Amino acid sequence: MNADRILVVDDEPQIQRFLRPALGAAGYDVVEAATGAAALKAAATLAPDVIILDLGLPDMDGKEVVAQLRGWSQVPIIILSARDRESEKIAALDLGADDYIEKPFGIGELTARIRAALRHKLRQEAGSERVCMDGLEIDTLRRLVSRDGAPVKLTPKEYDLLVLLARHAGRVVTHRTLLTSVWGPAHGEDLHYLRVFIGQLRQKIERDPARPAIIRTEPGVGYRFAEEE
Amino acid sequence: MVANAARDETRPDPDSLLAANRPEGRGRLTIFLGAAPGVGKTFAMLSRARALRAQGVDVAVGLAETHGRSETAQLLDGLETLSRRHVAYRGRMIEAFDLDAALARHPRVLVVDELAASNPEGSRHPKRHQDIEELLTAGIDVWTALNIQHLESLTDVVADITGVRVQERVPDLLLSKADDIVLVDLPPAELIARLKEGKVYLPDSARRAAERFFRLGNLTALRELALRRTADRVDDDVVDYLKSHAIEGVWAASERLIVCVGPDTLSEKVVRTASRIASGLNAPWLVVSLERADREPSDPADPGRIEALFRFAETLGAQTRRLIASDFVAELLKLARREHATQIVLGVPTTRRRLFRLRPSLADELAAQAAGIGLHLVTGSAEPRPPRRTRRQDWMPRLLAACVACLAVAGATLTGLGIEQVVPLSNVSLLLLLAVVVAAIRAGYASALLAAVLSGLAYNFFFIPPLYTFTIASPHEVFAFVIFLLAALIAGGLASRVREQARTALSRAIVVQSLYDFARKLSGTARTEDVLWASVSQLHESFGRAAVFLTPSEAGELALAAAWPPDAELDVSDLTAARWAFSHREPAGHDTGTLPASPYQFRPLTSPHGVIGVCGLRWDAGPVDALSERMLLAVMDQAAVAIDRARLAQESIAQAARLQGDTLRAALLSSISHDLRTPLATITGAVTSLRQLGTRMSPESRDDLLLTIEEESSRLSRFVANLLDMTRIEAGTLDATRDWLDVGDVIRAAVERGARYFPDLAVETAIAPDLPLLRGDGVLLGQVLFNLIDNAAKYAAGAPVRILARMESGQLVLSMTDGGPGLPAEDLEAVFEKFFRRGGPDGRAPGTGLGLSIARGFVEAMGGSITAESPVENRRGTGIVMRFPVSPPETPEACSP
Repeated sequence: MNADRILVVDDEPQIQRFLRPALGAAGYDVVEAATGAAALKAAATLAPDVIILDLGLPDMDGKEVVAQLRGWSQVPIIILSARDRESEKIAALDLGADDYIEKPFGIGELTARIRAALRHKLRQEAGSERVCMDGLEIDTLRRLVSRDGAPVKLTPKEYDLLVLLARHAGRVVTHRTLLTSVWGPAHGEDLHYLRVFIGQLRQKIERDPARPAIIRTEPGVGYRFAEEE
Repeated sequence: MVANAARDETRPDPDSLLAANRPEGRGRLTIFLGAAPGVGKTFAMLSRARALRAQGVDVAVGLAETHGRSETAQLLDGLETLSRRHVAYRGRMIEAFDLDAALARHPRVLVVDELAASNPEGSRHPKRHQDIEELLTAGIDVWTALNIQHLESLTDVVADITGVRVQERVPDLLLSKADDIVLVDLPPAELIARLKEGKVYLPDSARRAAERFFRLGNLTALRELALRRTADRVDDDVVDYLKSHAIEGVWAASERLIVCVGPDTLSEKVVRTASRIASGLNAPWLVVSLERADREPSDPADPGRIEALFRFAETLGAQTRRLIASDFVAELLKLARREHATQIVLGVPTTRRRLFRLRPSLADELAAQAAGIGLHLVTGSAEPRPPRRTRRQDWMPRLLAACVACLAVAGATLTGLGIEQVVPLSNVSLLLLLAVVVAAIRAGYASALLAAVLSGLAYNFFFIPPLYTFTIASPHEVFAFVIFLLAALIAGGLASRVREQARTALSRAIVVQSLYDFARKLSGTARTEDVLWASVSQLHESFGRAAVFLTPSEAGELALAAAWPPDAELDVSDLTAARWAFSHREPAGHDTGTLPASPYQFRPLTSPHGVIGVCGLRWDAGPVDALSERMLLAVMDQAAVAIDRARLAQESIAQAARLQGDTLRAALLSSISHDLRTPLATITGAVTSLRQLGTRMSPESRDDLLLTIEEESSRLSRFVANLLDMTRIEAGTLDATRDWLDVGDVIRAAVERGARYFPDLAVETAIAPDLPLLRGDGVLLGQVLFNLIDNAAKYAAGAPVRILARMESGQLVLSMTDGGPGLPAEDLEAVFEKFFRRGGPDGRAPGTGLGLSIARGFVEAMGGSITAESPVENRRGTGIVMRFPVSPPETPEACSP
């Protein structure tokens, strides 16, 4: 059996103690690291498919681990964070982490995040040009968007925004990432651009713009393109 | 008439006891008194100092003038001499007594020569006796030397004897306050011999004047003054001793003096004379200024002169009082009886003999009515005051007064002529009289006089035959003309007096009104800062001068607390003066004896609890008049009381807050113990049951236990999150980010989160389209909404919940209403307090009492407000309403494709 390997980096033995059997039962191969240094070594030698990383580590800052990993690896990283460390979480996401989950979490939430990360990895490798979601179709090759077969007219910025979110389907994309990718590095703080454009985009692509189902808001962090399970 | 109450008492007189017991820690003052320079005061002082030093007492010499005499200089050997201060004065360096060095050194006994000397400009005090006062206050014994001619009350006498008017003067009070007086005596003949031998130091410039001064007659007279003063003093000591030891009946019935003064130059002499009489009789004396109740002083500088005179009299040991009356004699006699006065002293000018004395002089009237009271008349010339330089600026109102007079008379004349054309008018003079009265009422006495003269001329010219000449034909017309002129003058005088009274009453009423307003303003202020601001603005408004208040900080350092105009600044010397006023509880700064270089005058603000601050007023524009001075004192008193009150209020608030803090801690503990323990107990119980008995349970019960564990964990987790949020709010570390939020988005996310925890609760949302973006923290706002949903789930008894978002008068309004039983009116504010809990539908208190309190903390951190209202509709329901200010961001430039 060729199970996906998951590296769990956390210095709390209790967390390790419950994650190992739970993830094992869900069909993953679990390896553990308790420090940042051990995590980097394990990531290099054991080739995990997903890394679950707690930001509070005894030897180094979790953000530093993300930064070093991203120097040579694109392995999906899911951040474990506490509620009072809002800004650290966002910083880690901006540094290249793929997703986050807040403690305390249910195992169902965690496995959903892991699945999304793994799917994304597959998609990246396959180089998909078509995204379909709830009647919305995006053809990145021809730059066409349609809703239930009818074409949707988007401005170039709206299109860029939609494609960026769709490429990360199932995972959160931070405000900063969206702003710097679509508007350029000088606009990292211009959140009101983003609010206006997301509003316009929802009007065009959502079935019920008042209850958006495709582009979901992650308060304080960014947006998440929904994914069909 | 004379009080003899003290006679039959054998108890010690409290005043005497007080006089004997100097204030705790105050130094003793010893004055070496001499009749003239050269009698050997410095020598005597230093010899004694050496003797004391030999006994091991800590003696230091702050300042001793040896005047180059070797025998005196030798005495300084072996005595510690303090360093002097070097001061630049008129281009050369001079040495001066260093007060701060002396205070820092703090010897038991300090020798400071020449009590009457002045300090160089720029010193802390202009006079040396003020330095000595400070040394005494600091608890240092001071020995100093004084020549009798420098005593303030003897100025006139010494001038009469020697023909020299002494410039350096010392208040008599110093001599009477001195603990010991040592008379240094030398027969005049011997002194003259010493002078001839060159043993008395005199600067060359003064030598010729000195030769006139050091004559046998002068010296004998001065010696007599010195001896007599010392004898008086010894007499006082004996009387004090007898009084304080309750020895009966040796002293005479006490005399009391009342001294009448006015703004004239004679009054200064009256005060000096009275001071001598009082000290001769050992009598207390009260200086009284007489002011008319019904008119303002004719010269606006008069109140200032009287103030100065009062201060002068106080330095001589007098008490002072202002007497405002319309009948001086009656009031004065009333006061004399009340005060049990035995003598009245007043001045009688000799130069001005009035030709027509309309009423008897004050002295005559007093002599006629003051039975049983001695009258002491001081004669002298009341020199006219030099004409004031400000006169020139006054020509405008004068011109105006003249114009009013001319216009009134012209108007009356024309009217008279006009009427005469129609009907013959027998008494046209009444019309002209009316003009005089009008001029008097509109423009005062001078205008009335002018109008009287003009109307007399007009009457003669236009109405008395022969017409259009200034001659009068018939004798009875002459008579009528004279009567008219007299009537006009008297009517004008009376009318202008009425006007004067009205103006006086008005200006006093304005003061009273503004004080009343101030009092009312203060009664509405509860905080010290508000009181200070109200006070400075009141002072500035009343005086048109910059006003400052300084109060001590918590560290005790005096600092600027309020100023009007608000940009008024104090430099270092101002601050020093203010601190001095604060620590010595006496006025300092401009026009006082301490640091007069400062443009401000600082006065301590005293309350029953001590000095609470310093009030400073720009003083370099000159002193304020008497009315304003009273106003200043009243404002300061009121401010002091108000500050005191505010302090007490603040202390009691702090006390209440401490108590509340204790209650909070208790509530926190009980909350934590309950809200942590219950879920923990449930989880532990369920888990142990599953582990030990799980195999024997049905799958349904196992599932139920597992569900319980999941639910309780999530409850625990929310509680911990709440505690964490509360801690952040309390610690002030909550810093809300200021992002642009799409409110609809935040609401939807919160509702989704709520739906996960409370699947049974129905939440409707109504979000107005085109809501502007809100500047705030999405996570905090989301948490607020979640807390509200959480609350509704607990209290709304399953009724649906509605969340509304809309714009209302420029504010973004978010409200959440439920259909529950609602809140009683008294709880609408209380629900936002920490640990406030109400029983749920089943009587239990399911919440932690933190949710709404956190909501308020978060909303306020974002600059919004949150309130509760109930009932919402049909006498049911609770609404929580949040309002946020909205300012639109600049539109993204890339909105169009």
